[in-house]
Amino acid sequence: MLLTPNAMGRPLRTGLYLTTGVIAAFLLLPILFIVLLSFGSSQWLVFPPPGWTLKWYGQFFSNPEWMDAALASLKVAVLTTVCAVLLGLPTAFALVRGRFPGREMLYGLFTLPMIVPLVIIAVAVYALFLKLGYTGTLFSFVVSHVIVALPFTIISIINSLKLFDQSIEDAAVICGASRLQAIFKVTFPAIRPGMIAGGLFAFLVSWDEVVLSVMMASPTLQTLPVKMWTTLRQDLTPVIAVASTLLIGLSVLVMVIAAALRRRNEVSA
Amino acid sequence: MSAVMKDAAPAKTLVSLRNLNKHYGDFAAVDNIDLEIQDGEFLTFLGSSGSGKSTTLSMLAGFETPSSGEILVEGQSLVKVPPHKRDIGMVFQRYSLFPHLSVRDNIAFPLAIRKQSAAETAKRVDAMLKLVQLEKFAHRRPAQLSGGQQQRVAIARALVYEPRILLMDEPLGALDKKLREDLQDELRQLHRRLGITIVYVTHDQEEAMRLSQRIAIFSHGKIVGLGTGYDLYQNPPNAFVASFLGNSNFLRVKASSNGAASFEGQSLAIRLTTGLNAGQDALIMVRPEKALALSAEQAAREPLPAGWNEVTAKVGEVLFLGESQTCHVMTAGGTEMTVKALSAAGMPMQPGDTVKVRWAVADACIYTEWAESDLSKAAGAH
Repeated sequence: MLLTPNAMGRPLRTGLYLTTGVIAAFLLLPILFIVLLSFGSSQWLVFPPPGWTLKWYGQFFSNPEWMDAALASLKVAVLTTVCAVLLGLPTAFALVRGRFPGREMLYGLFTLPMIVPLVIIAVAVYALFLKLGYTGTLFSFVVSHVIVALPFTIISIINSLKLFDQSIEDAAVICGASRLQAIFKVTFPAIRPGMIAGGLFAFLVSWDEVVLSVMMASPTLQTLPVKMWTTLRQDLTPVIAVASTLLIGLSVLVMVIAAALRRRNEVSA
Repeated sequence: MSAVMKDAAPAKTLVSLRNLNKHYGDFAAVDNIDLEIQDGEFLTFLGSSGSGKSTTLSMLAGFETPSSGEILVEGQSLVKVPPHKRDIGMVFQRYSLFPHLSVRDNIAFPLAIRKQSAAETAKRVDAMLKLVQLEKFAHRRPAQLSGGQQQRVAIARALVYEPRILLMDEPLGALDKKLREDLQDELRQLHRRLGITIVYVTHDQEEAMRLSQRIAIFSHGKIVGLGTGYDLYQNPPNAFVASFLGNSNFLRVKASSNGAASFEGQSLAIRLTTGLNAGQDALIMVRPEKALALSAEQAAREPLPAGWNEVTAKVGEVLFLGESQTCHVMTAGGTEMTVKALSAAGMPMQPGDTVKVRWAVADACIYTEWAESDLSKAAGAH
């Protein structure tokens, strides 16, 4: 590589570090602010906070509306994860192993939700569920989230499946295992990191999804981001900062797990 | 199976391939192959990539379905039997061990699938670990083993359920030369000890020679030579096998009778060849080590023995290779020859020297039919 840090001149290197630092700060500071604000004593989200308190956390956890929303979010995210992996697995197999016309096109089709503006998907799904009378149900939440989560899951599983040497599966077959047995006993364990990473991506997509969720929400069923959105339009309470912090916290945790798994996968591969 | 009198019994056919074909569209990857594999033999499919050897092995394993033809094991058709019910062992080029299982569990896998009892499994796995000398590594994961060790695990896994046929698809291709030769020796011993039938695929002719009792040479989806390494080398059935196996010199001649031919205006004695008519084009093939190069003075001192031929040539290049010397020469008519056996008493040849190249008529093969592409090395793939 021509542009390795060592090959560059000192001023250029310093400048690069500086701009990288500024960009990182630009991206991360809002998150840091919101976390600090959730512990601030001011009820108007004043920065810097005049004092520190856990009061807002108390309010969050004692308010059944917030707890219901958090629980709904968790439920939707877990179900989305399970569905995305169960659907993504056979899809990835078909896209990697299949020899049929239109395979490339099908791959494009499955990854389309990553490119199409979310609002368009949201309106389309909303219109469909309105007609079927499914809006505001857990089912509609999960289905709409799976649509946008599936591409991430599929890509993740496809990548690990492409790295997997199929002759290992053939070896299991010649050892006496049927093709299905070989896939379950040998292929799945070998691509498990990709499956788990795909599941975690699906979880993350669902966990902080707001556009689709606003459309699907009803007074009785809403996810945490939706509850934040509606609360924000009425008043500016630090409890929103608490909800944000919890959202961020879980997302970071999931990403750390994903990164750890990826590293372990690279080491063993 | 009764082992009584096994050694004394004449070789018995275990596997028969009959008119076996594999087509991909218009392309014939395997083109009407007939082959009898003897019980207990070490048979190697030798050929360049794309010659059909791996496809044939794949059909034996059951991963490819023949377009037409039969695969029989002791008279029973195997074509409709799925690969996991064939009871065939196979070792793959890239080891193909199960990465999430220990060495022990890898070897035990075929027994676990067959629902063997724990005691029987432990006993057999222990025996296999001992056979491939990996007792100390039983609890390691494949990633913690060297390439040679991994391939030994793969061999143990393929043998633990006592298949009658072991297929090996370039199993040593990924290893370095020294390790490859060690494992070749181990494999040969293993074959002798177990009496199992091994069908081995390789593109490395030295490996084929070293390991096999018989070699089947593949080219363009056909078997173009079948026999022991010795026979195929000394008496290649056709010009392709002659040029593919080892090095060879080809002299274009016109037959003047059944036992003589003219080469660049000079008369040469040739082996009596059935079906050769006067006036017909033919090819003389002499191995470099069977041809002798003598300086003009040496040639004058030593008269040409009966039953030998002699042609005059100019030395182009001399390569000293330690145990041997290779001398590239060219005749007046432009035929290039490689000569390995320099006359013992002779000084090293110098480029530009005129030499006499001699060979015994009995050592030269005669071909009446060949394709020009047969004469160049590395042919054989599509």
